[in-house]
Amino acid sequence: MLDFLVFAVTMIAIWSVVALSLDLQFGLCGLVNFGQILPFALGAYGPAISAAHGGSISAGLALGLAMAAVGGVLVLAPVGRLSQDYWALVSLGASEIFRLLMVNVTPIAGGQDGTAVARVSNPLAALGLALGLLLAMLLLARRIDRSPLGRLMRVLREDDLLVATLGRNPFRVQALVTVVAWLMAALAGALYAHVVGFVAPSSFSVAETFIVWTALILGGAGSLLGAVVGTAFVQFISVSTRFLAAWSGLPFDLVANLRLGIFGVVLVLVFLLRREGLVPERKVRVDAVGP
Amino acid sequence: MLSVRDVTVAFAGVRALDAVSLEARPGRILGLIGPNGSGKSTLLNVVAGAIAPDSGSVSIEAVPIPAGRPEEVAARGVARTFQIPRLARRLTVIQNMMVGRRDQPGENLLTLLFRPGASRRSERALVVDARAMLARLGLIHLADHAAGGLSGGQQKLLSMGMALMSDPPVLLLDEPAAGVNPVLVEQQIVFLKSLAAEGRTVLLIEHNMEMIADVCDDVVVLDAGTVIARGSPVDIRRNAQVMRSYLGETA
Repeated sequence: MLDFLVFAVTMIAIWSVVALSLDLQFGLCGLVNFGQILPFALGAYGPAISAAHGGSISAGLALGLAMAAVGGVLVLAPVGRLSQDYWALVSLGASEIFRLLMVNVTPIAGGQDGTAVARVSNPLAALGLALGLLLAMLLLARRIDRSPLGRLMRVLREDDLLVATLGRNPFRVQALVTVVAWLMAALAGALYAHVVGFVAPSSFSVAETFIVWTALILGGAGSLLGAVVGTAFVQFISVSTRFLAAWSGLPFDLVANLRLGIFGVVLVLVFLLRREGLVPERKVRVDAVGP
Repeated sequence: MLSVRDVTVAFAGVRALDAVSLEARPGRILGLIGPNGSGKSTLLNVVAGAIAPDSGSVSIEAVPIPAGRPEEVAARGVARTFQIPRLARRLTVIQNMMVGRRDQPGENLLTLLFRPGASRRSERALVVDARAMLARLGLIHLADHAAGGLSGGQQKLLSMGMALMSDPPVLLLDEPAAGVNPVLVEQQIVFLKSLAAEGRTVLLIEHNMEMIADVCDDVVVLDAGTVIARGSPVDIRRNAQVMRSYLGETA
């Protein structure tokens, strides 16, 4: 039971970082990324590619981060300035292209069968790393959230022409947010790879993106704490149903599909009953100073 | 000096502006009037860099503006408002005001991470400035309200305030008085005169002839994309052709 809890909290911490990354993009800045699993996958494939070709752990980490930063700009660039609506489709497509590339080009990192990477064998060490990463990323996100940059991102969320009219380049803000957010998700992906000890394309399907979305919508888009709370709920269900399947003897496929069904119901309920999420976005206040 | 030279803009073959030229001087308010569809807002968009003209140019102090790049034109000191106010409706009034200021250290990620003190200092000064401007606009009591909850007239005042937060030498206003109650219009008139007195160049689109007559030093009349008259407000009132185009053929 304790093992299960340690594993569950580790996974919650890792996926919370991915949800925070999506929160920076969508919750604060209005960038609809339907391919959020891509930066996570790029971060995980850094170590995988490194391991498959005899590279070191740090080389793998560096590769993952570099791929995520470059990938973010590459995916954002063709959409062009002032047309973020198309980004949902472009990012969704990009994540699938990458996954299919990994499935079909075996020499990169083992194809469909995946690649083994060095595993953090002590579960408590893995837990510590995951919580440490989450804490660091929460502090970073909070610094941005409460800053003039966060305020500008919230204006961009509502009206990109207004941002341009006020003398800032909307595309530059979007590119900055994308690179920072994708690096965050890539760090989570790299840690995930070393915690699980194995990287295969099946872990990075479109469904994973929408599980992150479910967590963010449930927790409250625009709220950093909400991203973590939502992820805790969703990942706890996700992890425990896996154990439930093993324990109850129900077919694994059935339980997996039921799990997605539950997330769908959760989304519908949130939209009907509590649109702002469990932890609504803080109404940003400016302390009255001076006259 | 703001000067517009032979600006032509065509939308799908229709000439919205046809070789329009005008000059606006610091410390003066230039009124831009004309019937709906005469090209006033298009001209404002060209000056603000939101629309690149098919031919002609806009320059400030004899330096051409980067056409079609609104953020760079804004950085040259040209601020504008829109006919339908553009605001961040979910943010508070004071936050909208604060975002009006360009070049904030706290909008740079590296400054934010490694020199957070610089951002905090600039924020403290910015709040004071934003509150002073809100007081000048008569909106200070609404500072912590969501901008989207303001009345139409208050939103127009707020967007004017946002435009002024970077202390722009050139100000472009698109129908600030339309749909605004008479008390607020009076307030705007006083405010506009004070802006000109500070030495700013103001370009004002307005249908309210009373306001035009009261605040404008010069008036340019557009009709179907061409300038049909220019002069002082008094001259324009006397001009029969203008009154016809404004009030319709039967007048």
